[in-house]
Amino acid sequence: MLQAVKLTKRYGGIEALKGLDMTVEGGDIYCLLGANGAGKTTTISLFLNFTEPDAGTASVCGLDVTREPLETKKLLAYIPEQVMLYGNLTALENLRYFAQLGGRDYSREEYRGFLSRVGLQPEAVDRRVKTYSKGMRQKVGVAIALAKQARALLLDEPTAGLDPKASNEFSELLLKLKSDGAAILMATHDLFRARETGTRIGIMREGRLVDELSTGEVTHADVEKIYLQHMHAGGHYAQQGASSA
Amino acid sequence: MKRIIISHEARQLFRSGAFRALLLLMAGAVAFAAWSGQRSIDRQAEGANAAAAFEDGRRARMREGTEQYQARVLAEGGEYQFASASHSPGAGPPQGTNPGVVGSTTAKYLTLPPTGLASFSIGQSDIQLSYVPVSMNPAMNITRDNELENPVNLMTGSFDIAFVVIFLLPIFILAISYDLLSSEKERGTLAMILAHPISLRELLASKIVARAGVLLAGILALGLAALLAVGASLDQTDTWVRFGLWMAATLLYALFWFALSVLVNVYGRNSAANGIALAGAWLALVVVAPTLVSLLATTLYPAPSRMELTTAARQAQTEAESAYMERLSEYYYDHLELVPEGDGSAMDFLTVAMANRNAVDKAVRPLHDEFQAQLNRQESLVQRFQFISPAIMMQLALNEISGTSADRYEHFLNQAYDFRAEWSEFFTVRFLQRSPLRPADYDQFPVFEHREEPFGAVMTRLLPSLLGMLALLATAIVVPLLRLRRYQVAAT
Repeated sequence: MLQAVKLTKRYGGIEALKGLDMTVEGGDIYCLLGANGAGKTTTISLFLNFTEPDAGTASVCGLDVTREPLETKKLLAYIPEQVMLYGNLTALENLRYFAQLGGRDYSREEYRGFLSRVGLQPEAVDRRVKTYSKGMRQKVGVAIALAKQARALLLDEPTAGLDPKASNEFSELLLKLKSDGAAILMATHDLFRARETGTRIGIMREGRLVDELSTGEVTHADVEKIYLQHMHAGGHYAQQGASSA
Repeated sequence: MKRIIISHEARQLFRSGAFRALLLLMAGAVAFAAWSGQRSIDRQAEGANAAAAFEDGRRARMREGTEQYQARVLAEGGEYQFASASHSPGAGPPQGTNPGVVGSTTAKYLTLPPTGLASFSIGQSDIQLSYVPVSMNPAMNITRDNELENPVNLMTGSFDIAFVVIFLLPIFILAISYDLLSSEKERGTLAMILAHPISLRELLASKIVARAGVLLAGILALGLAALLAVGASLDQTDTWVRFGLWMAATLLYALFWFALSVLVNVYGRNSAANGIALAGAWLALVVVAPTLVSLLATTLYPAPSRMELTTAARQAQTEAESAYMERLSEYYYDHLELVPEGDGSAMDFLTVAMANRNAVDKAVRPLHDEFQAQLNRQESLVQRFQFISPAIMMQLALNEISGTSADRYEHFLNQAYDFRAEWSEFFTVRFLQRSPLRPADYDQFPVFEHREEPFGAVMTRLLPSLLGMLALLATAIVVPLLRLRRYQVAAT
């Protein structure tokens, strides 16, 4: 569903991404872990074609995102760290605008249905979103992905700053999307949530994917141990990467 | 797909209080400008009517005198005679019988008829009066009364619709589009939108179409309202053709400013930086460039002062008086076939005065011509340099469309000079022949009929300005198209 092949990106003289190879299948929640600047956001930006790769390809359902930017975006949904909406419009108006941008349209009742499925209080639906908390905006973001009937989701630290309850609700939504067969790629710092909701975990460091785990085979403590090992032993892995490149 | 963005953007615009306030402000500005432009045109018309009524009234009284005189001659018998020029009223023939007196003491006022759109752009018509006096006096007197307006008013220029379009419209446009992309980027919605199947180019185009559509609909409505309120000759095709040209020019000019907003936005700076860059562009193109070009014109081709012209006229007058015998022979030399029999009557005061006037006219003609030529050189320099600023092109275009351009005025003045020659000749011949004016002769006085320039001539002068704006617009569109690929959607 989501596939990166030898994906490379340079900003100025700095290589932000060094030949990334990864695949996220439908029904997968792939969690990208790594320090700030490891290349997680760059990876997502490349899948969204916000920026063009210097080498390699990113593809969605077999379509190259640089060759078919509009086709691939029909299949994608994007939930950034802060879902930003038009503050002077209501949740329903925002949802309708973005759904229409994605080439879909529904009745008012169906829009309400999407918003209630993501757990937005019915009384909030017709309020202007400038009064919304971050958790509520993230829910609208998921509703947009639902309405778009996206086959693949790109999430960039969507739960950062959410309180535990909101974060938990968000994870529940991801599991629903997963059960619908969507391929989900999520950059996060939350090791606990990654282990709980993710199916696979990728650890990034300095533009490389240095490790991949299946969450079914490891405990939370394992994840933390492995992650920290990679972070501390950076020099060693960087050398190994250089010799293999 | 685009339609969704266009209607979304239009809705967003109308939801913004600032935009609604801007629309109201613009409507107010146009209303005031229409009123002010109309007042200026009305004042000129009143001035023209008053001046013409005064002079025509004097001629009518002279005619009345001749009618009474004719009746007396018929009743008492005798000959209908020529009055010698004199200031003392007597029992003899009235002054109205003397063609020299009638031709030199009364003036004929000629009027440049305003077009239907004249009140939209006053142009230079506050300096160059649309009505001029013609008599047997030297040709320079025709423009002598120009610049009667309060100099402070002349300095600030008139607040007409052209001013609103050239100065204020760009500000309105920049206010609603300076943060076209930057605001979406800063709000974070740009990434949300572009995660959907929308290209950046499509987004930009839709946002511009929404704004330009709303604004231009407003301009069209306001323009039509202004035309119906203060326009003239609404039944004539000419007025509607001019209105169409006016709208076309305004559309080009407005689109240029929209394109400039896009141009600045594709460089990816923040809204504040965009705002400053665009404010600077407005200042440079609308205020600084026209001032510099005007300065260049008056520095390269300084107009000789009217003072010089007057001094030269006085000098010629003094010279003529000191050598009037010589002047007189020269004058008769010019009109050899008309020398009256018996030298005595040829020496009277009026003949001498007219001979002097002739001499003065000849003496100041070169200076006067140089004065006009210098103004023409300034004008053609402005026309050559108009391409550096859309504001200059627009001003020239709007003056041309409204019929208040310098060229149309010159066309009128040339007709006035021709008419002066005709008018002078009519009275001079009769005066020198000592042929008395009868009441019926008053109907034979030359009549001025203003000949409008062919529309082709207007279009020929208008076209460079319109094409210049079109070229500028094309440039302002192409650059962003080339640059857009490098736009950074997300912060890195």
